[in-house]
Amino acid sequence: MELRKNSGPLKWVLIILVVIFLAVFLLLPLFYIVITALRDGIGGYIASITDPYAIKAALLTIRATIWAVVVNTIFGIAAAWCLTKFAFKGKKVISTFIDLPVTVSPIIAGLIYVLTFGRQSFLYPILDGWGIQIIFAVPGIVLATIFVTFPFISRELIPVLTAQGTDEEEAAALMGAGTFTIFRKVTLPHIKWALLYGIVLCTARAMGEFGAVSVLSGHLRGKTNTLPLYIELLYQGYDFTGAFAASSILVILAIIVLALRVWLERRGNKEAEIHY
Amino acid sequence: MSDNANYVELRGINKHYGSFQASKDINIQIPKGRLVALLGPSGSGKTTILRMIAGLEHPDSGEILIDGKVVNNIPGSERGIGFVFQSYALFRYMTVYDNIAFGLRVKKTPENEIKERVAELLKLINCEGLEKRYPSQLSGGQRQRVAFARALAPNPQILLLDEPFAAIDAKVRLELRTWLREMITQIGITSIFVTHDQDEAIEVADDIIVTNQGRVEQAGTPQELYANPATPFVVQFIGNSIPVKNYDQFQYFARGGPDTVAILRPEFISIFKKGESVQFSRSAEEGVVEDIIFRGSNLEIRVRLHDNLISAIRSINDPFVEVGEVVDVFIYRLFVVDGDRVTMEYNQSLKRESVVI
Amino acid sequence: MKKTRKSIIPGFGLSFGVTISILSLVVLIPLCSLVVFTAQLSFSEFWYTITRPRILSAYWVSISTALVAALINAVMGLIMAWVLVRYDFPGKKFIDGIIELPFALPTAVAGISLTHLTTTNGWVGKFFYNVFGIRIAYTRLGITIALIFIGIPFVVRAVQPVLEKIDIQYEEAALILGADRKTTFRKVIFPEILPALISGFTLAFARSIGEYGSVVFIAGNTPYETEIAPLLIMSELQEFDYAAATSIALVMLAIAFIILSVNAILQSVVSRRVSGLA
Repeated sequence: MELRKNSGPLKWVLIILVVIFLAVFLLLPLFYIVITALRDGIGGYIASITDPYAIKAALLTIRATIWAVVVNTIFGIAAAWCLTKFAFKGKKVISTFIDLPVTVSPIIAGLIYVLTFGRQSFLYPILDGWGIQIIFAVPGIVLATIFVTFPFISRELIPVLTAQGTDEEEAAALMGAGTFTIFRKVTLPHIKWALLYGIVLCTARAMGEFGAVSVLSGHLRGKTNTLPLYIELLYQGYDFTGAFAASSILVILAIIVLALRVWLERRGNKEAEIHY
Repeated sequence: MSDNANYVELRGINKHYGSFQASKDINIQIPKGRLVALLGPSGSGKTTILRMIAGLEHPDSGEILIDGKVVNNIPGSERGIGFVFQSYALFRYMTVYDNIAFGLRVKKTPENEIKERVAELLKLINCEGLEKRYPSQLSGGQRQRVAFARALAPNPQILLLDEPFAAIDAKVRLELRTWLREMITQIGITSIFVTHDQDEAIEVADDIIVTNQGRVEQAGTPQELYANPATPFVVQFIGNSIPVKNYDQFQYFARGGPDTVAILRPEFISIFKKGESVQFSRSAEEGVVEDIIFRGSNLEIRVRLHDNLISAIRSINDPFVEVGEVVDVFIYRLFVVDGDRVTMEYNQSLKRESVVI
Repeated sequence: MKKTRKSIIPGFGLSFGVTISILSLVVLIPLCSLVVFTAQLSFSEFWYTITRPRILSAYWVSISTALVAALINAVMGLIMAWVLVRYDFPGKKFIDGIIELPFALPTAVAGISLTHLTTTNGWVGKFFYNVFGIRIAYTRLGITIALIFIGIPFVVRAVQPVLEKIDIQYEEAALILGADRKTTFRKVIFPEILPALISGFTLAFARSIGEYGSVVFIAGNTPYETEIAPLLIMSELQEFDYAAATSIALVMLAIAFIILSVNAILQSVVSRRVSGLA
């Protein structure tokens, strides 16, 4: 490594450039949120984050997040298993559609759900007859959250399972093991860390989704406002302390997510070292 | 209905992968208790045959029979087979013990019986004390033996091995060949293994099935294949073969048809220093030594004869020949390939001399 | 039952069924309704909507700011990947860890924070306004800043793994053959990481064009000046003009599709060239 280590003053110029760039673009906004949230003192901060509407918004965010994580985990495992363990036609089409949601603008994601379930849709009278309302209601928020995080888990699992191949599963199946035994005993240990990693990413994105949820939410305070939407509402009402206080909750969660991410990656690599 | 001569049987098997035909009308009979090699170059369809017997692939047409029963619609897990994968497919997140125990646990064997069986197998494969290791902590040879033990644990009727020695260093490979042969003979289990290495097949197998381009070329004992190759492919594939076109220029060999080719093998040829041999002094031909290659236990001598470069083996104990030396070359016999037919031709002087003497 | 016979591994039916059901519910059916709705639009109406000057200028604002932000991110991303892979320095792990912050931090939170910082009263905005007379928030510059923020991880995370894998023997060979460091980078390292750089750039670009949450606060949303295309879709939706919203969205989808296709073509051209050389 002699060659790469010895690189003179350029090294420090580049490092300083990177540090300044990240400090300005990433750390300063973070720091600013905390400072502004605490501007009116701890008392004001606590009052802001314990506001009943803030709590209701946080609970709705948690609800949508849990839905997204559960649905996407089931989907991610099924899709990864199906796409990597079997040969069949149409694989490419399926994986293109799985990846599609992240390339679409969140606003467009919201739009297509409005078109699907809105008043002009043929589905509307049917669902309305059953008393189900989707857009401008909680189900719409949940659907939008699932959509924007749709490929997060499958995309983490597919490369791991592709690299692992199908030998072990074939060997287990030849000895007579059933689907769930093979999955639990043979496949799951390979994807455990990637799965957790995907869940963490999915959680982070689900908590913070703004655009798609904004289209589908009725913006009813205490009913269909998620935390990011509640922050927008406070901000537009010039309650900056409140907006930044609520933001600080999401900042803390983001930092936890980043720490978890680093930890999971390290654990996963360490374990892979033992088994490969 | 049990028929020991046809314990495993394939009848008229065809298999396509897209437009590629991997198996063309395969008919095979494997007797009970034999150790059989499927030998062929890569892409010859040997692994496909093995995987179809295991139930890992399904033929487009034809029947697979095990112990007289058609098993086409029986899942691989119920065919009573043990399978050793080319890369072993050991469960990387399970210990050696759990790997070997897996098949027994699936069958809901009581844990104390599992313990006994695993201990027995570990002893058999000489890996006692390794039960807590993970596959990545084993050597190549150990991995192969664990894979072997895992396949044997549920007491299968048939053992299938896909290129069992491919992933092992050359030196360990030789040891393992002998070990595997002894092991299988000791257990007496019907075994089929796939290999592309003729030495391996000849050394390990009781019977060899030679495959080429999706077809079975010939089946028989190593000796039979060696002595009576049925097809041009087998002639070229088994043994060390040197094709020669103008063999009619060799003394005492009559030329067949215009498109015939002769196949020589080093062991069909003897080389003598001038005056060394009394017996063949008159019937031998003169050639010039071009190269001498030291092969460890013997010498390969390359000789130019009628504009063909042919190889012969000489013992280290024989008088030394040198590059450029003119030597006597005697060819005992050769294979003549005429289209799809292979015949053995003997040096005619052998008959005459015996008459003379 | 052809499919169950194909593989000895069980669970095809179950996993395929679950995959297709959820995929249909979440992606396919909504997409179909977009297609169905589009088919009902009249072309003249569609054309009239998307060629309104206000909408054309919104497309231009979205594309130009996204392009500038993605270019800056490409340069900075390359430098960051280089620094993280090739140099050792205190705090490197910390920097590596926070690169993903824009993924983890809700876009709206980033949006209000960046806006507050860059208004003429904000910490950063005041400085730039007083010293250089430049306004950041409520201008296209502000939009670009927000897009740089959300695009940071794309290029770094695309280039980093490729840079890590480059065999040092290439560089050693180049140096032994007499190339200096600059030439080695230009001729040996850069071609290796170019495909990853392009794909990171395109992802950041495509993402930035559709970005809403972080931009909407800082943009100020002045028509013809700082109004972005996603915001126009939003306002059409709020007026329940689904036809206009869909028309604008279709053009954006077409742009995203073109960007991703260009990337796919570039990837195949570059990889063919590299494998052709090898």
